[in-house]
Amino acid sequence: MIASKEQKSRTVHFVRSQPTIPSFFEVAGLCKNFGGIQALNSVTLCIEEGKIISLIGPNGAGKTTFINVVTGIFPPDKGEIYFQGENIAGLSPHLIASKGIGRTFQFEELFSSMSVLENVMVGCHARTRSGILGCGFQISSVRKEEKRIRDEAMEDLRLIGLEKKSLYPISALPLGERKLVGIARALAMKPKFLLLDEPVGGLAAHEIEKLVNLLFMLLEKGLTLLIVEHNMPFVMAISHRVIVLDGGAKIAEGFPDEVKSNEKVIEAYLGKEVS
Amino acid sequence: MINKTSLSPFFWIIIIAVISLPFITSSSYILMVMIFVAIYGTLAIGMGILLEHAGIFSLAHPTWFGLGAYVAGILSTRQIVSPLVGIIVGAVFVALISYLIGAPILRLRGYYLACATFALLLIVEMSLGQLGSITGGHEGLTGIPPLSVVGFIFRTDTQYYFLSWALCLGCLWFLSNLLNSRVGRAIRSFRDSEVASMSMGIDIPKYKLQIFVLTSVMASIAGSIFSFYIRFTMPGMFGFPLLVELLTMIVIGGGKTLYGALLGSFVTVWLRELIHLYLGKILPVMKAEVDAIFFGILIILILIFMPHGISGGVERLFYSWSKTFDRLQRAEK
Repeated sequence: MIASKEQKSRTVHFVRSQPTIPSFFEVAGLCKNFGGIQALNSVTLCIEEGKIISLIGPNGAGKTTFINVVTGIFPPDKGEIYFQGENIAGLSPHLIASKGIGRTFQFEELFSSMSVLENVMVGCHARTRSGILGCGFQISSVRKEEKRIRDEAMEDLRLIGLEKKSLYPISALPLGERKLVGIARALAMKPKFLLLDEPVGGLAAHEIEKLVNLLFMLLEKGLTLLIVEHNMPFVMAISHRVIVLDGGAKIAEGFPDEVKSNEKVIEAYLGKEVS
Repeated sequence: MINKTSLSPFFWIIIIAVISLPFITSSSYILMVMIFVAIYGTLAIGMGILLEHAGIFSLAHPTWFGLGAYVAGILSTRQIVSPLVGIIVGAVFVALISYLIGAPILRLRGYYLACATFALLLIVEMSLGQLGSITGGHEGLTGIPPLSVVGFIFRTDTQYYFLSWALCLGCLWFLSNLLNSRVGRAIRSFRDSEVASMSMGIDIPKYKLQIFVLTSVMASIAGSIFSFYIRFTMPGMFGFPLLVELLTMIVIGGGKTLYGALLGSFVTVWLRELIHLYLGKILPVMKAEVDAIFFGILIILILIFMPHGISGGVERLFYSWSKTFDRLQRAEK
């Protein structure tokens, strides 16, 4: 299923057109350079639907770059990204988002001039259709749609337990709650595939517990999650599978326990043993 | 906790004040100044949305105002079309031009966009002056007929007063609806975080262009009405001085809220009138420059003490009052 980096896109198509079910999300030979720095070096991986996959690696391993390339913020230099059988590599971010890939950010990136509720309502953007003139004249279909997404956004806030703070400005929330708002905003997109960039960074222990429960709830709802994280206990507890990046390349992949004892992984994190 | 773009109580207060003013006073001087407040207010609201909400640093707003004034003025002076059709043709023309120019230059950001739009402002101002055979050149276009709509001719100040305020409040209503809707949230989102905005499925160039064209068209209609009211246009009226004036209004009133820009227009226009009225006699030599000195000092004071303009300052005052009030109530319990 996983195409090696030498294979051309045509071959991938050929493999895909077999009667087997196309895999949910697949990346083949993904490369991204920033000047002389190779942030991603022909990364090839495959993610099954309905799983929690973690992407780990030391600082500068290319994890966030991977998310940025998948969501279209940076176009890839080389390689293919298949989402539900469709090549999305090189599409604009808003098109990729509207196909059902949601994401959160390492550094919040919330809309600071808006209330919590409005932030989540922005997440509903790709699923709604009101145009600029309809919005200005407040025609009845726009008002109906507005009411619907307001209810839906409140529902998402209830999920993260912040429905009472819906009218707060973002600046009034502590860091942990802001991270949750970021997740609620991504959930409002009703994505099929959710990329979480360091969701537990800066959270307290009880907040992490809450987050774990939330993520399992999302899994039950049928979402597929890709989590980029540094917090190893969290990763080990939650992942079905772990993928390890180092220096922009995939160095290991497998069940959490396998990865934990993988020599290459230990080397990447702790350095080589001096013989 | 305060929804920054909602304005319903203010909106009703403004409507009532606007409607009752002609019944309180019949002074055509006051009505005239209020017409200027409405026209400049329409411009300042549109420009405030671009600067403060959409994060588009466009300085070409006086250009759209001027093009609207000139197109409607020229077409109706030469009796090619009726004044009403002239306004519509002007609006369509400005929509087209701002679309064609906006599509490439809105990809620029910050200062670069400011430079490009400022160049546009200067080019259009020069061109209006140089195209003497069409525009009347630097001396201006004279003999513009009054506005007539299916036989009804707008002649008195009161009629123009209601017309210009209808436009101004219409734009205010439209834009405040817009800001609290799907498209408005999209427009506000990309100023806060472009990367998050894109990841939420928002097509940023599309919405930048839409709001740019929309506010340009509003400015164009204001310009057309302006030219029918004063019956005369001159390239110098739509150049750098107007730009500075609009920026002054936004800084003084505060662009964070829509009514802030309108308040800025009110304060700026009236302050200028009062300075000329009272200080003009004391300082006759400096007649032209004297208001610039006052506005310069005022802008500095506002920026120091009310960085979000008068509206932002008033809002903060209310907020701190309500907090003190809350604390007192809690203390009583």
